[in-house]
Order: sequence, then C-alpha cells, then structure tokens
Amino acid sequence: MIEFYHIYKQYVSDQYALCDISFSVQKGEFIFLTGASGAGKTTLLKLIFKEELPSRGQILIDSLNINLIPHKLLYQLRRSIGIVFQDFRLLENRTVYENVAIPLVVRGEKRAIIDKKVMNALSLVGLTHRRNYVPTHISGGEQQRVAIARAIAANPKIILADEPTGNLDTELSIEIFRLLERINANGITVLVATHDNHLMELFPKRVLKLEKGRIVSDGKIGGGH
Amino acid sequence: MNLLKATFGNAVQNIVRNKLVNFLCFGIIAFTLLIFGIFNYITYNLEAFTQGFSKNIKAIFYFQDDIRQDEVELLIARLRENLLIKEVAFTSKNQAEVDFSRQFPELKYILSEFKNSPFPASIEVEFNQEYSMDTKIISLIEDIEKLDIVESKQVNIDWAQKIIVFKRFISVMGLFLSLILIFVSSFIIFNVIKISIFYRKDEINVLRLVGATDWYIKFPFVIEGAFLGFFGSLMAGGLLFITLKLFPLYATFVFNIVKGLINFKTIPGGIFIKLIVLGTAIGLFSSFISARQFLKIPKN
Repeated sequence: MIEFYHIYKQYVSDQYALCDISFSVQKGEFIFLTGASGAGKTTLLKLIFKEELPSRGQILIDSLNINLIPHKLLYQLRRSIGIVFQDFRLLENRTVYENVAIPLVVRGEKRAIIDKKVMNALSLVGLTHRRNYVPTHISGGEQQRVAIARAIAANPKIILADEPTGNLDTELSIEIFRLLERINANGITVLVATHDNHLMELFPKRVLKLEKGRIVSDGKIGGGH
Repeated sequence: MNLLKATFGNAVQNIVRNKLVNFLCFGIIAFTLLIFGIFNYITYNLEAFTQGFSKNIKAIFYFQDDIRQDEVELLIARLRENLLIKEVAFTSKNQAEVDFSRQFPELKYILSEFKNSPFPASIEVEFNQEYSMDTKIISLIEDIEKLDIVESKQVNIDWAQKIIVFKRFISVMGLFLSLILIFVSSFIIFNVIKISIFYRKDEINVLRLVGATDWYIKFPFVIEGAFLGFFGSLMAGGLLFITLKLFPLYATFVFNIVKGLINFKTIPGGIFIKLIVLGTAIGLFSSFISARQFLKIPKN
C-alpha cells in the first residue's frame, strides 16, 4: 500500500533529514515510527501526504508514484489519508461537529450524508454528547479524539498520526492508542509516529526505528496489554 | 451545489468574523466610490449644460459685394451636404435692407442716402446639436472664412473654443481621478483579503490537509472581495443620493448660484449602475489577485 524506495530528504546541503529510506507497508497494517526528536519521523509522514517532497527516491501509494501527482490533483491524495497531529489542529471557532464535518464539506457531500458520517465518527470516539461544544471547552484527550474523528470521518485508506499522545497523560494516551487500534481493525492502514516506548510495549505492532534519518530497525516489540 | 453553498457561506462567515476590518473597508470603498459618483454627476450635468449652451452655435458669413448668385447657390448646396450643418439660410442684400428697416424703423432714413443696399449678402449656418462642441465645426468655420467670396464672419467662436478646452480638461481630470480612485479601492480590497487570508491561515492549512481543492479555498476570498466591492458601491450609491438631495437644503445659497448657471438634472440611474458594476468588478479583480498571491503553496 505504501512503498518507499531509497528516499532522501535534504533541507540544507550535506545534512540529510532522511537518508536512503526504503520500506513498505501492507494494507491494513499498524506501524509505529519511533526515534528520538529530530530522527525524521515527522518528515517521513509529511512525505506520505506530500506536504514535503523527497530530494531523491520514489514513494508509491497504491502503486501510484505520488511525485507524479500534479499540484492541482493533490487533493485526491489527501482525501485518501486522515491526519492526526500532536497539537490537534482543530478550528476553535467551530463546534466539534463542524470540525469533524470539514473533510466531508470540502467534498461537497449532502447534508444528510455529512450528518450520518459525522455522528458515526463521533460515536466511534465516544464524543456524540460533545458535538455542540467548541474545542476550547473540552479536555485535551477529547480534543485529540475529535481530531481522530475528523481524520476518519471521510473513510480514508490511511491514518497518519504524528505524536498523537504527545500532549496527553498516560491514561489518555492508552485510550487514544486503543482507539487507533479499533480504527485499524476496520481495515484502515495506520502509521503512528511516537517516541513513547512504554506505549509501544503495550501495543505490540511493527516498529520502524529511525536514527538520524536512517532506519536502524524494523520489527515487532512489546508484549501486549 | 453543496460546494457552492459552502463557499458562499464561508465568504459571508469571513466578512462577519472580520467585522471591524470589513466595516472600515466598506466605509473607505463607499467614500472613494462616492467621490467618483459625485464627479460623474457633475460631469453629466456639465455635459448637459455645455450642450445647451452651445446648441445654438450659428455662424454668419458675409459675402463680397461682387458675388455671383451661382457661386452662392453652389456654396449653399455644398454646405447642406455637410453632416455638421443643420440649416443654411441665405439673406440677399435687399433682404438685409428690409430686415434692417423692420428692426430699426427710426434709422430707416439713413438707408435713403444709399442708392443700393449697403448691407452685404450673407448666409447663416446653424450647426447640428450633436456636433455642437466638435472641433470639426471650428475647422469648418475657418475653412468657409478662407473662401474668396467670403468677406467676413460673425461667430462667437472664442466661447466655443473655451468650452471645448474646459470640457477636455474635465474629461482628463475625470479619467485621472477615476484611475486614482479605482487604484485606491483595489489596493484596499487587496489588503483586506490579504489580512483575511492571514487571519484564517490555520483553517486554510486544515482545509488543504483534508483534501480541499485550490478553488474551494480561494473562492470564498474572491467572493468576499466581490461582496466588499458590491456593498461598498451600494453604500456609495445611497450616500450619493442623500448628498445630492441634501446639498440644496444645506447649501441653499451656493446651490441657487449654481442653479442659475446649471439646470440640475435628476440623478440618472446609469450612475448607480456604473457604481455597482465598477465596485463589484474592482472587488472581484483585487481579491482574485490577492488570493492568487497569498494562497500560493510554496514548493519544497
């Protein structure tokens, strides 16, 4: 589903953010990207939704070389991916419902369909009762669940989560990871960037470890929860 | 349809959210377009005034004493073919004498001193009203005057020339002022949209990440600009109407003097249509340029 072939990313000369990255992710897989700060986790995720372009190499998603997608059609790629950020990136002047509805509104979906899909997503994250709240009036954990609901509302094939629990305590983090696991159980491919080893041990999945822009290990860690 | 509704909704939301900036923008656009409207109204009235003043431009050409009848007839026939000329009337020497006697009966005795009529034959040329201020008329008058058979002419050409110069000055001033005002309005809308884009930076980023098309993101800003221009021009139209209605009430003295010179026409509907079309076009154009420039995605 996602294939990286000898990817290099260079921001400044003779300094690589990513160096010769090659790996592939199968459809429906759950993968942790781990590594210290500055290892290249965020850059790697940004390359998948084409927020950044690789300096060298090829990335295929569903066998399509995303480098060849023209800027005008980039929205099509983005519609197949749901993104979750550490800082949630919710719109504070809109309600929880409106935030979750955004990916559906931009697709021009009918009101009834939007309503159904938003309520499904909110129900999955357990926040239907908060739908009329603005993000500033709910907790950090709830905000992250809203962000996850927004990411899944339009049924994407892939979920990318960049340090989704970075601002949350352990209990809430476990809750978010369980939620991501549930989403993955529905056949959605999930890539989570995290440096929280404890959580990775609780959720035994495939782990890609990055160090100074290189993959240093690719395997499973952890013993279940 | 849903997308279009969402887009218009976003545009209205943008305006409501940036109330203060948009209110100031409306005000400035309305003010600049109001000046444009007032100027247009003055030009319109001046046009009517100068046309009324000059519609009776007539020239009388006096012939040499030895002129032959066939030469006169040929000249009259040629002048009647000219589009600039409405009417040509010939007055013979004898007719001129009769006219003089009728107009000044107390001076009739003077004429008895002369064996023949002392007055020259003449033609009176009346110009078509639609060309009354055309420079071609002045050239034509000069051409007729140069003919050998013409001895002298009588025409208030200085006035005509002055009016033409004044009208040209007003036209150039109008064009110049309009260009400045269009530029000012465009600049204001361009910057309001720029502020609006920066104000909604986070939202734009989210929209991009969830797969909004470029046009879905840009269109509300373009519509916002068009709204600003449209409502600014509506406000300008209203202010223009009020200003012109109140002017005679609050500046009675000045108005009466001006009214003595110019018979003010009612405000033509064309001015309002001009204002609205211009305001909306300025809004659309400036916001389009602004959105294009500030919503550009940097290449990595």
